[in-house]
Amino acid sequence: MHRSHFRLVLGVLVAVTSLIVAGAAGGASKKSSAGSMTFGAEQEPPCLNGFTSGCNNTWTSWTAGIALANPLIVMPDFSTKPFMGNVKVLSKKPFTILVTLKKNAKWSDGKQVSADDLIFTWKTIVDPKWDIASRSGWDSVGRAVKVNAKAVKFVFKTPYAPYRTLLATTSILPQHALVGADFNTIWDNNYNNKAGQTMASGPYKLQSYTKGQSIVMVRNSSFFGKRPTLDKITFLFRTNTDTEIQAIRGGEVDAIYPQPQLQLAQLRGQSGLRVQTNAGTQIEHIDINTGAGNSTPLLGQAWFRQAIAYSLDRQGMVKQLFATLNPGLVIDNNLSYFKAQKGSYVPHFAKYQINSKAKRIAKVAAIMKAHNCTKGGDGIYSCGGEKASVRLGTTSGNKLRELAVEIMQAQAKDAGIEFRADSQPSRLFFPRIATNKYDLALFAWVGTGDPAGQVDIYGCADAKSSDNPQGYGGSNWKGYCNPKVTNALKASDAALDPRTRIKLVNAADAQMAKDLPTIPLYQKPTYFVFKTSLKGLVDNPTLQGPTWNTQNWKAG
Amino acid sequence: MVTYIVRRLLYSIPVLFAASVLIFFSVTAVGDPLAQLRQNPLFSQQTMHNIEKRNHLNDPITTQYAYWVKDALTNKFGSPLLQPGTKIWDDLKRVIPHTLQLVLLAEILALLVGVSIGVYSAIRQYSIFDYTATTFSFLGFAMPVFWLALMLQILFTNIFIKWHVRIFYTSGLSSQDAGTGIHFWIDRLQHLAIPAMTLMLLSIAQYGRFMRASMLEVINSDYVRTARAKGLPERTVTLKHALRNALIPVVTISALNFGALIGGAVITESIFQLDGMGPYFLNALLNQDAYVVMAWLMVTATAVVIFNLIADVLYGYIDPRIRYD
Repeated sequence: MHRSHFRLVLGVLVAVTSLIVAGAAGGASKKSSAGSMTFGAEQEPPCLNGFTSGCNNTWTSWTAGIALANPLIVMPDFSTKPFMGNVKVLSKKPFTILVTLKKNAKWSDGKQVSADDLIFTWKTIVDPKWDIASRSGWDSVGRAVKVNAKAVKFVFKTPYAPYRTLLATTSILPQHALVGADFNTIWDNNYNNKAGQTMASGPYKLQSYTKGQSIVMVRNSSFFGKRPTLDKITFLFRTNTDTEIQAIRGGEVDAIYPQPQLQLAQLRGQSGLRVQTNAGTQIEHIDINTGAGNSTPLLGQAWFRQAIAYSLDRQGMVKQLFATLNPGLVIDNNLSYFKAQKGSYVPHFAKYQINSKAKRIAKVAAIMKAHNCTKGGDGIYSCGGEKASVRLGTTSGNKLRELAVEIMQAQAKDAGIEFRADSQPSRLFFPRIATNKYDLALFAWVGTGDPAGQVDIYGCADAKSSDNPQGYGGSNWKGYCNPKVTNALKASDAALDPRTRIKLVNAADAQMAKDLPTIPLYQKPTYFVFKTSLKGLVDNPTLQGPTWNTQNWKAG
Repeated sequence: MVTYIVRRLLYSIPVLFAASVLIFFSVTAVGDPLAQLRQNPLFSQQTMHNIEKRNHLNDPITTQYAYWVKDALTNKFGSPLLQPGTKIWDDLKRVIPHTLQLVLLAEILALLVGVSIGVYSAIRQYSIFDYTATTFSFLGFAMPVFWLALMLQILFTNIFIKWHVRIFYTSGLSSQDAGTGIHFWIDRLQHLAIPAMTLMLLSIAQYGRFMRASMLEVINSDYVRTARAKGLPERTVTLKHALRNALIPVVTISALNFGALIGGAVITESIFQLDGMGPYFLNALLNQDAYVVMAWLMVTATAVVIFNLIADVLYGYIDPRIRYD
């Protein structure tokens, strides 16, 4: 070999060998040690101040947001429990609650988490200057009275039933660190106080945020609860599902919490990994446009909507969609409560699920015959000159939804109803829904487990007022209006007795199961995949998310 | 030469202006950037009003464009639509170096390998090497980037699972505790290796084919025959007389590639989770954030203009017969 060629080959060999040696050493050091772990976060928080519209994202609260504790916490079964504090109702008229903070709750800079912080949090949320994502609930508070250094009475303008959920989804802000600051821009990249110290009341505090790459959380020794076991949790942003899967297979991350995607099936059989799955808070459903903007007046008829519901084998579709990921997933049959909420969930929509194809077709045929509909040569019914043909749209690019549309098209066609595909990218699809330009729309609502706000989605459109600035029914794009439902839902939002509230919500739900402005499909499952060597990780399918109990996490 | 460069740069100003008008109007016309927020029944109407007012969303598009020009010139492109605390220029300063690292590594290696393969294929036309290189070039052209990227990820993940040796990482830019100095750069190289390979394989195919065709044209020309007739060694004939002239088309292609890739190898960077210009643009586009898209466009367009200029200047260096008026 020529000398210069020899040198070149030698150089390349040395470079490759050094990379392998460095890599092998690096690989060994990256294994989760006794005190740390890496979590592949499927989304990067746009910024860290989760209160503001620009940063408000579930992954903001699941990553850096664990530094800021809430008074209450939502448990995996959707119940609320005391966390950094507790709450009790003092009076029903005017509706008054007492929020008390734990005596040992303090900030990582040594100052106490105080009543002043609670009042400051409320005032910040309702201050119109700030771009707060949601003021809902806190804007019903009329005044706050400091009872002592750790307790505040909040007096509401109107009764507010979901007060526990409100306290379980609101982090407390440190007044001494934020007072006088521009809340729209502060805490975009850190949670520092004026002296530059990072602020935390939760189990972990923010050590660093490298945009586009990672968030590093370290143990907060001032945490009021049990001392967190892990020294450090690193969140690496892995927003591509395939990449996320390879990252956990190859040990580059120790845990992931991906959206359900078909590719996840390959992780089920991988040794050293555990997959936890639950029915989550995203309710996939079909909204039906019963009024203006639809392509056929048939959709305004309850019997026709019922025929559509009967034509679908929702359980069969779910089985096909999740055959490998979640063979046991069952359909959702209540628009207001989740299946895990025992005592609240009543399956009002179950009557529309007919497993036998022949019986489904016969049921639809009976309804159609009763309304003088006749089948055309193409096998599709016509009723009074109107063809039973409607558009079914969803967000294109979402494989699960596109597959669901195909399955339902086939099912409806068998029963004599045509679904014309009408999907578009989400940026075009949702504005169309909001302007009533659709027939059937398949998408998801995200719930909290508390039915508050259902009146916005299913209530009759109402006039705006100071108490009701958006107008009830502000998100009701279905042209649906049943005063029985509206009144029951309105009353439920003000019902302070839990049992009365459940009754009212279920009365509305039962009526909607007859009227069918919406057909519930399934609760989108959650997937928590982590190394078996990690202990204490438990999926919380509520909005609290996978990092709700990081203080209990241990590396094996 | 200086006059030529200044003139070219001045010409580029109206081009950039026209591009900015076109893109701003098309991004803004796509729809309401707050549409997704409006669907949320719990989203604060007061906040919606604040955002609309701050970003002049209710003004005519021409007025919005004027505000953008003002922000671009006086406030380094301003802030994203929903994050008034974030500066677009700071984000660009963060992502551009990441993209440059990937693009430089991939393109320089691709040029070296592609040109070598092209030259050798041309000299040994219809040899086994030539046929093999041609076959692999077509494979390279035909291979979708996302597929190749995924295959490489799976390959190196399986190597790790089987032998517990981390040759390369399959995603991200750096490891936690990557260290400093040489340790940091070795770690960075381990992260960039697979994405660079993905980009490289496609570029090698392209450069190889262009170089082969160009070289075949040159080695049969009169001046190369003359050089041989003068008794110059074959190595000198090939490298000094033929290669230099044959490089001109490859210089054009690579300059265009460099310029375009500064805008980010969108698919590659997104798959490998590299915090570069590609994913930055993609996110902005999905969020219909016209200000961010415009900032990205201005940087990319400027890069294309500059690299084209560099290519034109290089022609004169490679082929002294080319003169600038």
